[in-house]
Amino acid sequence: MKGYKNVLLALSLTLAVGFAGTTFLVADETKDQGDAAPPAQPVATTPSLLDYLGDTKVISIEPVRQMFSHRSHVVEYKLACSDCHTDIFERKWGAARDKGDYTHADAFDQGRYCGVCHNGEAAFATVGEDNCMRCHDSSMSAPDTIYFQKPVRTVVFEHKGHVDMGLKCGDCHMQLFDYRVGAAEEQPEEFIMQALYDGKYCGACHNGEAAFASDTRCTTCHIGVRGDVRRLARAADKNKQNAQ
Amino acid sequence: MKMNELEKLVNEGVDQLPPLERRTFLRAGFAITGLFLGGSILSLTSVRTTQAAVPGSAYTSGAYPYKPHYSMVMRQNLCVDCQLCMDACVKTNHVPDYGYRTIILEQERSIGENAQETIFIPVLCNQCNEPPCVRVCPTVATYKDKTHGIVVMDDKKCIGCKTCMAACPYNARYFSEERRAVDKCDFCLESRLSKGMTNTACAEACPAHVRVFGDLSDPESEVYKLVHRPETVLWVLRPETGALPNVFYMNDTVA
Repeated sequence: MKGYKNVLLALSLTLAVGFAGTTFLVADETKDQGDAAPPAQPVATTPSLLDYLGDTKVISIEPVRQMFSHRSHVVEYKLACSDCHTDIFERKWGAARDKGDYTHADAFDQGRYCGVCHNGEAAFATVGEDNCMRCHDSSMSAPDTIYFQKPVRTVVFEHKGHVDMGLKCGDCHMQLFDYRVGAAEEQPEEFIMQALYDGKYCGACHNGEAAFASDTRCTTCHIGVRGDVRRLARAADKNKQNAQ
Repeated sequence: MKMNELEKLVNEGVDQLPPLERRTFLRAGFAITGLFLGGSILSLTSVRTTQAAVPGSAYTSGAYPYKPHYSMVMRQNLCVDCQLCMDACVKTNHVPDYGYRTIILEQERSIGENAQETIFIPVLCNQCNEPPCVRVCPTVATYKDKTHGIVVMDDKKCIGCKTCMAACPYNARYFSEERRAVDKCDFCLESRLSKGMTNTACAEACPAHVRVFGDLSDPESEVYKLVHRPETVLWVLRPETGALPNVFYMNDTVA
């Protein structure tokens, strides 16, 4: 995928040398269609305007892809280069991310990076129920229920239940939990009860004050292997019914 | 009416007694007798069982017939059915997939309107002091070891009649095709204790320290301290069988 984009970028660059902006776009599209798909190149995705020169697409592998549209900021909102560079962002790929503070809690909420403008006044805020998807795109889908399988089987988390309770995305993400599916389970030695007692993960609220303490009512979340087997059986039954 | 006056009365006999009065009298008599014997007549169970039904009462004397007196305490409310104990047991004792030496039972309990809580109950051989399985074995293939009190199997003597499986109150036995004998939990005697290890595989694998294994005859051991902890409700499974099990259950807080 990345290689394909690089090829396109190079192609666009070459073409852009001789043509005006609008022309090269048309020319490029024509060329794309005329090529009759060489076997080496994947053809599944239609390249969008964002893939071409003039819009440096910022791809953040973690936590989600395609968070920032450079084009919309430059073309639609007519921001000058100096508006953001280099006071807010360095002119270097991944520089902000490498600093380690390129997060909601550490930066945006304190009016740094995107948060300089995206504060709810100059531009839409970086928090709020309706705003998450504006940057995080459709790669974000809120699950109803999460079943953790590590470090022990099986812990249930009612994601929808917590959202319906009035919690906002930013209340748990990214400070306590990554957005990425399975992120907490990737560190099973960290994701343990002691961490919860220390106020991490679920323990931030489940401390006996905001919500029931995480060293009580074990089986509220721990449905066990039996509970998991029953769930899988229920899901299988449902699939069977749907198939019929 | 005084006793000496009563004695002077002529016995009326029971022939003229109305049935209702007779029934009331008999019922009162049974109730008093039953109460006296700890419910042993009305409930049709033995006195010893009644003692066993009262949590810990049979054991708090501090006298334990074996040395070491192996025992296990289950801090039941901390069990989350992760089944790491079962996995460890299978691996350690080569338990086939059609049987088990330990299992986790599940119970649903209402905690209010539309609210349920789950209770997980780890079960294994209770190494009873009066083991029903031993009593019924026709070939003495299963017996209680005189030193440590673990109920063990002598595979060579087992004829596979499975009477012990029917007799066990805890469903803790299965017939092993591989051994050609009934197999059961032996507190890891064969696989670990006999090799110098001091803990069972299941207790070692438990991430919540639900299973506490040790010597009940040693006042310094953790099991002893848990069993004798003041203000603690301690119970056993199926006390009514009179088997006097050595696996105790309690609820505890996270350490």
